[in-house]
Amino acid sequence: MFSALRPSLPALIRFARTPSIGRSIVSLLAGAILLLLAVNIATFVMIQRTAAFNDQVERSQQVRRAARTLLISMIDAETGQRGYLLTGRQDFLEPYTRAETAAPVQMEALEELAAGDPELRPHVESMVERGRDKLAELERVSALARTGRNGEALRLVQTGQGKALMDRIRADVAAIDEIENVRLESRTLQSERGSRLTLWANAFAGLLIVLLAGIMIWLVRRYVEEIQTARDTLDRLNAGLESQVRERTAQLTRANDEIQRFAYIVSHDLRAPLVNIMGYTSELEQAGQVLDRQLARIETDAPKALDAEAATAVREDVPEAIGFIRASTGKMDRLINAILKLSREGRRALLPELLDMTAMAQGIADSVRHQTGEAGAEIVVEPLPRLESDRLSMEQVFGNLIDNAVKYLDLARPGRIVVSGEDEPGGWVVYRIADNGRGVSPRDHERIFELFRRSGKQDRPGEGLGLAFVRNSVRRLGGEITVESELGKGSTFVLKFPTRLTLEESGEAA
Amino acid sequence: MSNPVKIVMVEDDHGHARLIEKNIRRANISNDIVHFDDGGTALDYLFSEEVRMNGPMLILLDLNLPDMSGTDILARVKGDERLRRAPVVVLTTTDDKVEIQRCYDLGCNVYITKPVDYESFAGAIRQLGLFLSVMQAPDID
Repeated sequence: MFSALRPSLPALIRFARTPSIGRSIVSLLAGAILLLLAVNIATFVMIQRTAAFNDQVERSQQVRRAARTLLISMIDAETGQRGYLLTGRQDFLEPYTRAETAAPVQMEALEELAAGDPELRPHVESMVERGRDKLAELERVSALARTGRNGEALRLVQTGQGKALMDRIRADVAAIDEIENVRLESRTLQSERGSRLTLWANAFAGLLIVLLAGIMIWLVRRYVEEIQTARDTLDRLNAGLESQVRERTAQLTRANDEIQRFAYIVSHDLRAPLVNIMGYTSELEQAGQVLDRQLARIETDAPKALDAEAATAVREDVPEAIGFIRASTGKMDRLINAILKLSREGRRALLPELLDMTAMAQGIADSVRHQTGEAGAEIVVEPLPRLESDRLSMEQVFGNLIDNAVKYLDLARPGRIVVSGEDEPGGWVVYRIADNGRGVSPRDHERIFELFRRSGKQDRPGEGLGLAFVRNSVRRLGGEITVESELGKGSTFVLKFPTRLTLEESGEAA
Repeated sequence: MSNPVKIVMVEDDHGHARLIEKNIRRANISNDIVHFDDGGTALDYLFSEEVRMNGPMLILLDLNLPDMSGTDILARVKGDERLRRAPVVVLTTTDDKVEIQRCYDLGCNVYITKPVDYESFAGAIRQLGLFLSVMQAPDID
């Protein structure tokens, strides 16, 4: 039993040490049960005491009755003897003879009752003794009367010895009565006090129990209220959280819109000065040609007047400067167009549909066939899982990545580009575009996705736009793109998309 | 283009204004060209009694102005009982679809995006000039 309890002991101690509603209720219940137990014990004791008291009352009554019975027997005996003396008739003696036989039995009973009672015994003993004396006296008188010596008998009565004995007996009976009366009174008093005490104790315990019950109800109520309050707070917080998320999302969407608008406005505003630069460069060029024609005329008409330095300036320096300005403005124009394209693509509404990716990738591979053919490379399209997404964006993403793979093949070995893919648990699809091209150095793995940034040998045309555009589109479609690559070995671009593109109200991926 | 037609050009970029003027002239258009580089003075001029009384005109309008959007000017012009007859050519760098739609909704007659490449730009303006030379502008009053 104890060993079975042992494992739960630490838990019990912990329970008892931690202030909690459970502990309060358990201790209150324990208090109430203890109180009930105490009241029960008190009542039990009281019942026992009442029973004892009843016994004692019964005993008192017996003693008194026995004493009185004896007294009555003695009086009967005396009465019978006196009647016989007066009348001489034998039948008047009958009460005496009856009492004479009854008295000894009654004496014995009385003595038995008084045995072990030091207070009663002296009186009982004296009464019994006097009774015997009285009986003896009566016997002597009646014996004299029976033998006809009535005068002698009367003289014996006249001595008053018999009366004195009777008086003493009466006094003894009165004393016994008195003792029993006193006892009865004190016991009644005790009993009354006891029952009053029990009553008070009961009332007090009842009150305490009601109080404990009240405290318990209050505790439970408070506890329930606390739980309710906590739940309300939680509900409120939850609701707040939802609206907060909505608000943040709206803020983000706004910020995103603003950035796109900003890109759009900036690129337009940048265009205006560019028009001037290009325009006046052309005007300068035309002016230069006018000057050149003038120089040519001077050269034929008066070669000596021609300043060699002026000729160099007009025929070499100016065209060179104009060439650089043209190239730079051309590049700037392409960059601005790139930003515009990105911003415009970001504003295009997405239209999810079920896409046969194998056919799409194969179509893109076919469209670059002439380039791969020239380079002696091959593109392998493995069966790809289908997905539900925006067709145009997916075509652009795959087109850009396959174009890149072809563009950056390593000419030292035959190119091989593999497009593969599989479903992933949790509603995702993964596509891989792997090449054995020149690869990307690890420190550029993040950089290649940034706008206008390029990696490795800059021997291919490009603005550093494709991958930035790809990442932008992939993110818009709710996916992500990573690259695994080693310089000189090849690159694998890993695309991960949700199997189903779900759009929010704003038209962005959920 | 019948001779008295006046060309009102609203263009904040002086370089652009000059290039436009040059190329219009190269197309042999010799009409008066009045140039304004902000929306406020252009509106003041357009809504003065003198201009409203003074025969037909054609408005070349840029959308990105420092003090207001060109669409505001377009709306004012097309909302005016008499000025609305004047043909308005929007000539701007913006090629936003929404903006183009809005201009046509407001009553613009031609919308041209300025090409950044100068050859195309010059070509476009010269063609506009040729177009203007055969175009009929209604009298304002």
